[in-house]
Amino acid sequence: MADDGSTATGADADPRGRRPTLRSGPGRVLVAVYAVFALSAGARALVQVLTDFSAAPLAYLLSAFAAAVYVVATVALVRSSERSRRVALVSVGVELVGVVTVGLLSVEDPVAFPDATVWSGFGAGYGYVPLVLPVLGLWWLVSQRPRRVV
Amino acid sequence: MLFPFAVVLGALSLALAAWSLVGALRAARPSGGQLLLAAVLEVLVLVQAAVAVVYVVTGTRPVSTATFAGYLLTVVVLLPVGVFWGLADRSRWGNGVLAITAVTTAVLVLRLEQIWNG
Repeated sequence: MADDGSTATGADADPRGRRPTLRSGPGRVLVAVYAVFALSAGARALVQVLTDFSAAPLAYLLSAFAAAVYVVATVALVRSSERSRRVALVSVGVELVGVVTVGLLSVEDPVAFPDATVWSGFGAGYGYVPLVLPVLGLWWLVSQRPRRVV
Repeated sequence: MLFPFAVVLGALSLALAAWSLVGALRAARPSGGQLLLAAVLEVLVLVQAAVAVVYVVTGTRPVSTATFAGYLLTVVVLLPVGVFWGLADRSRWGNGVLAITAVTTAVLVLRLEQIWNG
């Protein structure tokens, strides 16, 4: 706990920009949740696309897209460099926009979403974790931005 | 699937999740007792997987065998990976990882049961 958030002060910054803090502490829990969602969304999309793609192409493509976003976020968090932090910021931002947009669309027009995606109903099928996760992710990623003393 | 067995698995997973959550809230690192429970849980998961494989091989199959196999493989691998990832962080956050791993295990056990029964 002693090194939480205090390692980005420049004195001990790695010249290659590795930031082990991104995947430790709260980041470690985030990686675990993102990995679970990368896996479950990915497997779900795979089954949907392979078995009956024609039933709901839009929903299934969104499933695959959501899975890709989770995979990118997971890998970026684990890599834990300053560049990967920015990659993670973008993917988690996309995730937040995605879950809100798909959530609204699926409530407004259920016909376009005959089969659920991870983000349908704001992630209700997954205990609304998909809605909370990007908010926590953004908070963590922003809190880990490098602080220049100069 | 053996329904009572799944109930025991689910209950033990939730017990581990609660234990880990309490640990995380108390800012404690994962204890030996939790690891023991995780180990017992993994053994039971392996037994369940073996039973499922025997069922499938002898002809008793769920409607979607491929999905079932995917979930089965995931639940077998999940605990070791989660414990490994959680223990690398010797702080309260290791307990957080354990809690999430345990909750996910419980959900997967439930899903396995649902898929088996169609």
